[in-house]
Amino acid sequence: MKLLQNSGIPIYKQISEQLKEEILSGKIKEGEYLPSIRVLAQDLRTSVITTVKAYEELESEGLVTAVQGKGFYVNAQDSELLKEQHIRIVEDNLMQAIKASKVAGMSEDELKETLNVLIKLSEEE
Amino acid sequence: MKFNDVITGKNINKQFGKFELDVPELHIPEGFSTALVGENGAGKTTLLNILGGSRRDNKGEITYFDGKKIGDDGVLERIGFTGTKNYLLPHWTGNQVRELSEMLFDSFDKEKFDSICKAIDVTDSIFGPTAKSISKLSDGNLMKLMLATVFARKTDLLILDEPASPLDPLMRDMLCDILRTYIAEGNGKRTVLFSTHNISDMEDVTDYIIIMDNGKVLEEGFVTDIKEKYVLIKGDGELSPEMSEALVSVHKGKYGFEGIALSEKLEVFTKSGVSYETPGLYQICVAILKQNTRLEMPVI
Repeated sequence: MKLLQNSGIPIYKQISEQLKEEILSGKIKEGEYLPSIRVLAQDLRTSVITTVKAYEELESEGLVTAVQGKGFYVNAQDSELLKEQHIRIVEDNLMQAIKASKVAGMSEDELKETLNVLIKLSEEE
Repeated sequence: MKFNDVITGKNINKQFGKFELDVPELHIPEGFSTALVGENGAGKTTLLNILGGSRRDNKGEITYFDGKKIGDDGVLERIGFTGTKNYLLPHWTGNQVRELSEMLFDSFDKEKFDSICKAIDVTDSIFGPTAKSISKLSDGNLMKLMLATVFARKTDLLILDEPASPLDPLMRDMLCDILRTYIAEGNGKRTVLFSTHNISDMEDVTDYIIIMDNGKVLEEGFVTDIKEKYVLIKGDGELSPEMSEALVSVHKGKYGFEGIALSEKLEVFTKSGVSYETPGLYQICVAILKQNTRLEMPVI
């Protein structure tokens, strides 16, 4: 896990986002327990309350469930939710591409053409 | 955030001369690390001495580990306390410290003590031909020695008065790792309470913070909550009276102003286009202390 001290994004948010990615990509599987809040804090060299907050964030998004005295386990992931999450990632990235194309002075057609080329390239792979 | 108390205090009071320590309610959360912050003379050491059991001439009621008193069987055995005035006598060297610790505490592990001293590089200073007595040790080595006596025991609660101050940056960093390991291995049952002036250095091992001044608690809470309660405001225009009122403290300069305000008052600033960000714990502490301080900027 990579935590940036001066990115302006709170550390707990960086932790929850990265865990979220691992859960949604299936790296951490359904039913698996996350590391205990105190062990994770020790590993990441952060305060315990930071990891508590990160886990609470995941819990409020329905990704994990807290069990008194046992910790947090990963929920079965709703495929609709998963799809939505990925659509958001696509939109974010496309928005960045649009902004960059404007800086580069590309026309709308050029941008679309680039996208088509890239789609073809990825199909060949 | 729900938590159990490892220490519960009611109406803790101690007066000497003009100074009065007055803490009507005290809750130290179990399984977390709590930092006590405040100006010199705020009463941090007095409070820690009372909680650590080294001074018992105070009023009020304090219980530990679910209702036990400091004098109850086994309570002191479970507490590791290092104060500024410790139980070490000035002419002692390492051998005496080891012997006394062994006499005082059942769980004191001689071999562990020796290996900790070696690891944190105080062995040569306190043992063997070049050994110095306690009174001749540097502040840093004395603190390392006191920490070694505490970590060579089996405890559930550490009460440490200014553990970071005399340590160099590397050792301070290691202290944070040691404290996080101590807490992680306690599985929610081990607690640390320490005072510090080095707020930024200790932030990654601070879960709960208590800010004190003049014998009283000014603010306390989990760091994540405290950081949401306040915002750091930065503006380059004029301060309106409404803004001044909403600020906990502010620094005005030639090119603008910077201050800490309550998040609930944020709108006062955003509607005038003033920018804001999440403050560091250090900035919040300083702002709260500034509001109450007797200090003034001297003319130099």
